[in-house]
Amino acid sequence: MDVPLIATLTTFLAATIRMATPLTLAGLGETISEKSGVINIGVEAIMLSGAFFSFLTVFATGNHFLGLLAGMAGGAAVSMVHAVVSLRCKANQTIVGLALNFLILGLTSFLFLKSFGQTTILPSIAVIKPIQIPILSRIPILGQALFHQDIFVYLAIALVIGLSVFFYKTEWGVSLHAVGEHPRAADTAGLQVDTIRYLACLANGLLGGMGGAYLVLVKLGFFMENLTAGKGYIALVTVILGRRNPWGVMGAALVVGAAEALQIRLQTMGIPIPSQVFSMFPYVVTIVVLLFSIGKSSDPSALGVPYERDKR
Amino acid sequence: MNRFRDALGFLAIAAILLLISVLLILAVGSDVTKAFSSFLRGIFGSFYGFSEVLVRATPLILAGLGVAVGFRTGFVNIGAEGQIYLGAIAITVLGLAAPGLPPVLMVGLAILLGFVFGGIWSVVPGILKARFGISEVINTIMLNYIALNLVGVLVRTWLKDPSYPYPMSPMLPAAASYPELLSPTRLHAGFLVALAAAVAVYVLVFRTPTGFEMRAVGLNSRACHCAGIPVYKNIVLSAFISGGLAGIAGVGEIAGLHHRLIEGISPGYGYIAIIVSLLGQNHPLGVVVAALGVSALHVGSLSMQRAAGVPTSIASIIMGTLVVLILARKSLFGSTVKLVREN
Repeated sequence: MDVPLIATLTTFLAATIRMATPLTLAGLGETISEKSGVINIGVEAIMLSGAFFSFLTVFATGNHFLGLLAGMAGGAAVSMVHAVVSLRCKANQTIVGLALNFLILGLTSFLFLKSFGQTTILPSIAVIKPIQIPILSRIPILGQALFHQDIFVYLAIALVIGLSVFFYKTEWGVSLHAVGEHPRAADTAGLQVDTIRYLACLANGLLGGMGGAYLVLVKLGFFMENLTAGKGYIALVTVILGRRNPWGVMGAALVVGAAEALQIRLQTMGIPIPSQVFSMFPYVVTIVVLLFSIGKSSDPSALGVPYERDKR
Repeated sequence: MNRFRDALGFLAIAAILLLISVLLILAVGSDVTKAFSSFLRGIFGSFYGFSEVLVRATPLILAGLGVAVGFRTGFVNIGAEGQIYLGAIAITVLGLAAPGLPPVLMVGLAILLGFVFGGIWSVVPGILKARFGISEVINTIMLNYIALNLVGVLVRTWLKDPSYPYPMSPMLPAAASYPELLSPTRLHAGFLVALAAAVAVYVLVFRTPTGFEMRAVGLNSRACHCAGIPVYKNIVLSAFISGGLAGIAGVGEIAGLHHRLIEGISPGYGYIAIIVSLLGQNHPLGVVVAALGVSALHVGSLSMQRAAGVPTSIASIIMGTLVVLILARKSLFGSTVKLVREN
């Protein structure tokens, strides 16, 4: 192969993985939440809150670790509001999620304007640098894409492995599935349905907040209004396409990431196909996959249904 | 007594929202009286301001009615945004393909075609839900993105105006426009279409056997199945009507305001419509009132930004908080609704 092609391929792969990482993180969070029976379409709000608070913290302290923690806390705050309103007040989970998307979009824009004013130059922070893993990173093509990435990429891969063990090989995983599939049976068996669901929602907030923090701390280095621009909704799609399996979610995020990376590359190359064709691609794929997997519904039976102990 | 406690709950919500607004206004160092007076002046202070409320409420009423019809059978339509764009595509295709049609026929056909396009966009997740039990929530969201990108592709390729470098369609023939109602303002006949749709939805839902079946399916689909009411048919039908109404909203944005297909004709109307439907308690009259209220909130906050320097994002905050509080009020202010249901 000639040198430019290899270089293009390497940067393309690396870009794909960078695009996929925040989606993987948020998608894994939503997977945990949905397995417990809580559907939260407020991932967008979780990510946006995570991005905003991590930016604010790093801007004030210069400490990226604190920024990450703040982002995770910001995400968790949103998901806990969702959890309380949908589990305690038994509200329609979809609508709560949607309302939170509006609320957090408004709140972050408002607080950002209040803190920094109307500026033409966006306030920025230093981004986290990639880590070069010796020897492995020198493998042609794959080396730079896989082993010269930032810490979050490695963390996401570790989470995928960890969660696939957690879901399918531990008793906690069984409990999580039980609560989402048949809360009454789980309750009868002595599981604390709502406690498990709250914990699952917390995990969703922490991971989604991390995904949002990634956008600021690694990818962009600045914050602006509506920074996530629909990434939270895309994360929901990766959960469906990945069939709520950690490896599947990562695979789906990579498909979306590849479509995005391809779109940017083709735009710079001046190819006359509208970039929207590629933006559309992951959704069309997901719908086609859904159509082919008809009849094998993988939705948890109690998804979106609040558990009422004293009702039949 | 229950009514009294309900009213108290809503008063409490209003007080909380007012308090939040005051805190937000103070947070940006603005004057509270000036901010509130500019908010009200933006809505009621001028003919133009008030007409803008009606203009923005038009797509919200139509899409909100659509979402409400879906909710009646339990079809949670998050896809009104995409269905609005499908309606916009419909009128553009019609206007460019048959520019010679007389105005009445053109507008009538555009509404019909927009209804069908939007309906098809929503009936697909409807069938998937009714037949195979696949959740419509994520499917409708995905179809939003497909529709959005579809418009992006169309205005750059087949429907592009070749004489401009920008991604937009050629101007549609004058016959494909709604008449203006109050000439200097942007108010157009689409508002009347929206009100007519509200009446039609009321008749359908509350005055026909089909509407009765739909409501029954939404309340208890299993009981309906046992009683011989076709659950599948009613969910699919309500999904079709739901998307169709949102499609008409898209037709109106083109026929009344833009007169050509461009990207971004809807600043999230489809998502706000869901909130409108919730606030209007899925009742046509409630939807109209809620749409006017949400629209007034946005128009007023624009004026508040100009006059008092309060960011418009305050409107999103208030809207989101309002919905969260309304959903949570059962637990916050005593569970009156639950009592009513149990009696």
